Amino acid sequence: MMNRRRFSLAAAVLLAGCKSSSGGEVEVTVMAAASLRRVAPKLAEAFASRHPRVKVSMAYGASGDLRKRVQDGAPADAVLMANDRPVQQLIESGHVDAASRVVVASNKLILIGPSGAPPLTFETVDRLPAGDKLAIGDPGAVPAGEYARDALRNLGKWKAMKGRMVYAGDVSAVLAYARRGEVAAAVVYDTEIQGIDDVVMLDVAKGDWAPTPQVVVGLVKDSPQREQASRLLQFLAGPEGQAIFRAHGFGHR
Amino acid sequence: MIGALCEDSWFPVCLSVQVATAALLIFAPLGVLLAWLQATRRYRGRALVDALIMLPMVLPPSVVGFFLVVVLGRRGALGQLLEENFGLRIIFSPAGAVLAASIVALPLLVKTAQPSLEAVPRELLDVGRSLGLGPVSLLFRVTLRWAWRGVLMGLVLAYVRAMGEFGATLMFAGNIPGQTNTMPLEIFAAYQAGEDDRALLYVVVLTLISTATVLVAAYFAPRPERR
Repeated sequence: MMNRRRFSLAAAVLLAGCKSSSGGEVEVTVMAAASLRRVAPKLAEAFASRHPRVKVSMAYGASGDLRKRVQDGAPADAVLMANDRPVQQLIESGHVDAASRVVVASNKLILIGPSGAPPLTFETVDRLPAGDKLAIGDPGAVPAGEYARDALRNLGKWKAMKGRMVYAGDVSAVLAYARRGEVAAAVVYDTEIQGIDDVVMLDVAKGDWAPTPQVVVGLVKDSPQREQASRLLQFLAGPEGQAIFRAHGFGHR
Repeated sequence: MIGALCEDSWFPVCLSVQVATAALLIFAPLGVLLAWLQATRRYRGRALVDALIMLPMVLPPSVVGFFLVVVLGRRGALGQLLEENFGLRIIFSPAGAVLAASIVALPLLVKTAQPSLEAVPRELLDVGRSLGLGPVSLLFRVTLRWAWRGVLMGLVLAYVRAMGEFGATLMFAGNIPGQTNTMPLEIFAAYQAGEDDRALLYVVVLTLISTATVLVAAYFAPRPERR
C-alpha cells in the first residue's frame, strides 16, 4: 500500500513537471487549418493581450485531418477550418455546435511555380511540360486540394491532369513542393506566398469556375473552455481580428 | 483482361505488386551478393559496410526519404546529373517508388540470408575448389544449394517489406494517383479523407498477401536439424 502510494505521488510530481500552464491560467485548445499557420499565432497573441489569463494553443493540420481528430475525441475547444465541409460534417456528427459556425474570412486560389517556371494559367495547366507535375493538396482531406479539384473540374481539365498531379498532405506541403522546385506548378492560397520570394505567382483563380475559399470556425460541443473559446471566435469575427486577417492577405468574410 | 482488373480501386493493388516485383529485381542480386560477401569475406571496412547495410532497417523511413530527395531530387546532385545527361527523372515516378522500396527491403534480405550463407561448411567449399570450381560456380553449385532456404526466406520477407513501404515512398515518389499511389499510400490518404471503407480494402489485401507470404517463408525456413 505504502509503496503504491509513494509511487503514485512520484508519478504525480513527475507528470506535474510536464504541464506548461501555471496556476489560474485557462488554456484554450484550437485546431486550425494549415493555411492559418501564419495568421493564427498573431490572432492568438492579440487575443491574449486582451485576456491575459487565457492561453491559446494551436494545433495545425489539413482540415479534413483535424475534423477526423475531433471526431476521434482529440481535445479541442474550437476549430478553424479552411473550408465549410469539415465544419458541416462536425455539425452533422454532433461534435460542433451549429449555432457557433461563422465564416470569418475568405481567400483566393492561385497558381504558383518555382522561379523560372513555365508561364501557365489555370486554363492552360494541362500544357505542363512533359514529365513535370502539378502539386495540389489531397482533395480528400486538404481544402486547398478540394478547391483546386473543383476549379480544374469546372474548367474541364481534371481528367487531362490525371497521373500528372502529386497530392500533398496539407497546403504548406504543396507550397514546399514548389519552393523546392520539385514541381513545375502548384495550387495554393494567395495568403501562402506573402513574404516568400522563391516562388512566382502564375495566375489567380477568377471567374465563374473559380471557387471562393472560406475560413469557417465553430465551437466544439463538449469543450471544457466553452466561454473563453466562444470569446475567441467573437474576437476573430470582430474588428480587431478582422484587421489581422486583412493584414495577412485574407479577404472579407 | 488483366488491364481491366487493374483499374480504379484495384489500381493500387496492381501497382504495389508491380513495384515490389521490380524492386525484387534490384535488391535480390544486390542483397545475395552483399550477404555472400559479408558471410565469406573478411576485409578492411567490413564492419562499416555491415552498418551501412543495416541503416535503412534501423532509421525511420522518413530519413531514407529525405536522403533520396536530397540526392536524387530535381535539385539534388545526382538527380540533376541524371536529368541533364540522360533525361532521367526518378523523383515523383513509379521508378522512385521502386528505388525507395528496394533500399528499405535490402537489409532484411541481407540479414536473413547471411547466417545461412555463413553456415555452409568450409569442407564443402574446399571440396568444390579442389574439383576446380571458380567463385561463381562455387556460389551457385555449392553455397546456394546448401543455403537456399535462408536466402529464399530473405527474399520473401524483403518482398513483403518492399510491398509495404510507405514513408520513404511518400516523400520521394509522392502520392500521384495513377502513378505512385501504392496500397500503403492509399490507406493513409483514404484514412485522412475519412474514407475508412476504402482504406479497409487495402488493409485487408495487404494483410492477406503479407500473411500468406510469411507463411510460405516459414514453410521454407532453415531447419536446425538439417545442419
